[in-house]
Amino acid sequence: MISDDLEMVTDTVEEQAPVEACTKCTACNTVCPVARNTEIFRGPKYLGPESERYRDQHEASVTAGLDLCSGCKLCEVTCPSQVTIQEYIRRAQNKGAEEKGRTLRDWMLGHTRLLSAFGSMTAPLANFGNRNPLVRWLMEKIVGIHRKRPLPRYQFLTFERWFKRRRTPSATLPARGREATRTVAYFYGCWVNYNERRLGEMVVHVLERNGIQVIVPKQQCCGIPAVVNSNMDLARKYGVENVQRLSGLPENVDIIASSTSCGLMLKHDYDHLLEIDGARPVGARTYDICEYLWMLHEAGELSLDFQPVETRLLYHAPCHLKSHGIGYPATRLLHLIPGVHLEEVDEGCCGISGTFGVKVEKYDLSMKIGSRLFAAVKAAGSDSVLADCETCRLQVEHGTGAQSAHPLEIVARAYGYR
Amino acid sequence: MKFDVAVVGSGLAALVAARSLQKAGRQPVLIWPGLSSLYFVYATIDVLGYPDSTSKEPVEHPEEAVGRLIRDHPDHPYARAGLPALRDGTRLLVEWLREAGFSWQGSLDRNLLLPTAIGTPKPSCLAPDSMAAGDLQRRDPIIFCGFEGHEDFVPELAASNLSRSWQHPVRALRIRLPRFEPGRQFTSIDVARSFEDAAFRREVANRIRVAMGDKDGVRIGVPAVLGLTHDSEVHAQFQKELGHAVFEIPTLPPSVLGLRLFDRLRKHMQETGVEVIWNAPAHAAEVTDGACRRIHLKSAGRDQQIEAKAYVLALEGAVDGAMRAGVHTTQDPFFHQRLEQSTVPTERTNESLFKAQPFAQVGYHVSDRLQPIGDDGRPLATNVFVAGGAIAGYDPTGTKSRGGLAIATGYRAAQEAIAA
Repeated sequence: MISDDLEMVTDTVEEQAPVEACTKCTACNTVCPVARNTEIFRGPKYLGPESERYRDQHEASVTAGLDLCSGCKLCEVTCPSQVTIQEYIRRAQNKGAEEKGRTLRDWMLGHTRLLSAFGSMTAPLANFGNRNPLVRWLMEKIVGIHRKRPLPRYQFLTFERWFKRRRTPSATLPARGREATRTVAYFYGCWVNYNERRLGEMVVHVLERNGIQVIVPKQQCCGIPAVVNSNMDLARKYGVENVQRLSGLPENVDIIASSTSCGLMLKHDYDHLLEIDGARPVGARTYDICEYLWMLHEAGELSLDFQPVETRLLYHAPCHLKSHGIGYPATRLLHLIPGVHLEEVDEGCCGISGTFGVKVEKYDLSMKIGSRLFAAVKAAGSDSVLADCETCRLQVEHGTGAQSAHPLEIVARAYGYR
Repeated sequence: MKFDVAVVGSGLAALVAARSLQKAGRQPVLIWPGLSSLYFVYATIDVLGYPDSTSKEPVEHPEEAVGRLIRDHPDHPYARAGLPALRDGTRLLVEWLREAGFSWQGSLDRNLLLPTAIGTPKPSCLAPDSMAAGDLQRRDPIIFCGFEGHEDFVPELAASNLSRSWQHPVRALRIRLPRFEPGRQFTSIDVARSFEDAAFRREVANRIRVAMGDKDGVRIGVPAVLGLTHDSEVHAQFQKELGHAVFEIPTLPPSVLGLRLFDRLRKHMQETGVEVIWNAPAHAAEVTDGACRRIHLKSAGRDQQIEAKAYVLALEGAVDGAMRAGVHTTQDPFFHQRLEQSTVPTERTNESLFKAQPFAQVGYHVSDRLQPIGDDGRPLATNVFVAGGAIAGYDPTGTKSRGGLAIATGYRAAQEAIAA
């Protein structure tokens, strides 16, 4: 007789063959922003778990259509059975790229850090080139970067160098008359380092304003551009470097990221997708910046000494923020600031998905996906949109002409940061 | 994270509970383990279609019939929630639909009788405007129109089935959709998106007019593909171009009708300030001194703990993690209660798909305040209230009552959470 006390069999099935947890309910296909906007994409259900059942490590990959997955992860966010749909697609695509090789363009976009370091070193020239129609035409023809896609401005002074050079600790720490109670390590990411140093400065300011000591450990690209450009080995190499360095931090040091995608790599993908040893404890102490500030608030440690910021703002929640499973901490935080009038525009994916919307063959699709959001922003008549993700901000600016900012910028302003 | 009231689930019960809390001036948070059947199955809102799952006689007056059901079965979830909760919850939902920009028809007084994709009449309480012209209580002739290559709707099957139970003229026709070449696979969503394009719509209307010839006073039933987001405009325009009344028929998942309903309610809710925590399956409840202190969510990287004054568990069942079924046991993820189920696996299902399914009736037993109760009949936590499909002991499929039960229990659970 079989005992009733046997371990739940579902656990075993999911561990042995997690793909079988897919009940084919189709939720993923209905939310997939790509499938909703083009008939040529067969959708996450078919390309993920359904195809996965037929994939064989020893056979050549079938990759048709896989590259249209933008990596937004909304399929996984909405899956009622927690199937790692997008990971199946990514792994299959990566295997295909290993067999068939990658284009120069995808190789370059995977090496965002290298590209950005070069762009930053040659900032005036790179920025000129990125805005020059002839250069952009050549870039489109030779490399495959769509000429209409505005490329981010590079800055010569990197965040890393700014942090090293500044007088530390900043004047605010002793002014508050107490010793730092917490220390955090800031994972600033390539964006803050090469393109938006000011955001990093504000993160440091806001944390120090709350009596928190900020350290900046040496770090590598989080690896997400490499993951989505089918270069998982490169992503793993970056990830291993980061995990090694971050693991070496004292145990009571929390890790903060101001990019939702970098944060998600550290929290989840290093362990789950890239299977990097030692990644789990690093992920367990990684926080999104707004998530962290809200946690401080609930612990009674956040300074509420806010100056009113009279402004009407729209908030767009990035897909990768949804993937964190932490709700929308930025909106909670901003409601604490007097004068802020915040409205959420809930129109789903903005369409850019990192490097996806930069590519010549995907630009139009990316703009089509974003069109609902653009229309809503225009209809709301606000010229300022907040989003926690840097490429969402680029896309909203491009699609609407509105300005955009990280929500932290409003917090910093309320603390008197100029 | 601390919130006022945490509502776990993404189905109709959860949305109604959250909306009720919001309207009462409370601050709910929605915790989503993933999407529910609302997104891919729902089309209409059914309160009670049949008095029991073996009955062939459809219910005409749902409110009256639910009242009878409550008198006859005092343990039924409808009885636990109470008739006032169904009435007030339905009023709240209908107002909400209107506020969110939807136009729906129907009332608790009288069921509509709408054709399904296989041509069977189905009693429904509330339905979108775009389906209402299909009411089989009307007598004008029906033409079912399907599209070549669209496998979710076979007009010939619908027509031949309907003609057996319905005494009025009905026929089928098929046209080829522009842009959708034969041999190409496509879904209802692909077609629905194309219908938002005026030129596409006009061309489809032309082809239907040519195929049907000159006919007066007929209504045309098409699969539910008339637009994804601008559906009322698409429906009105399409009727105008065809010169006949048009009604939509729900298709297999993914349901365009469910998608529209869910998308708009969710959007409205979020834009009016209700936060959603996506991608956070709950897996434990901490109970001390008889009350739930926090629940644990599996988020990226680590557990998130949610602390609230009260909790509404509005999950559906096995689909979205309200319970985990094994060969021998079924457990709930919060209290790790063993939920009642036959120990013989073959007794958990009925061979006929359309009969009452024992597995569907597994769930929490609840108190008369909708608190989940343990084997001793006492609440597992005084501040936790269950709504929707996770309540034990009823069969929403056979009786066509899923929507009404979600409304009544969702509304009642919210009232209890407010009082807790």
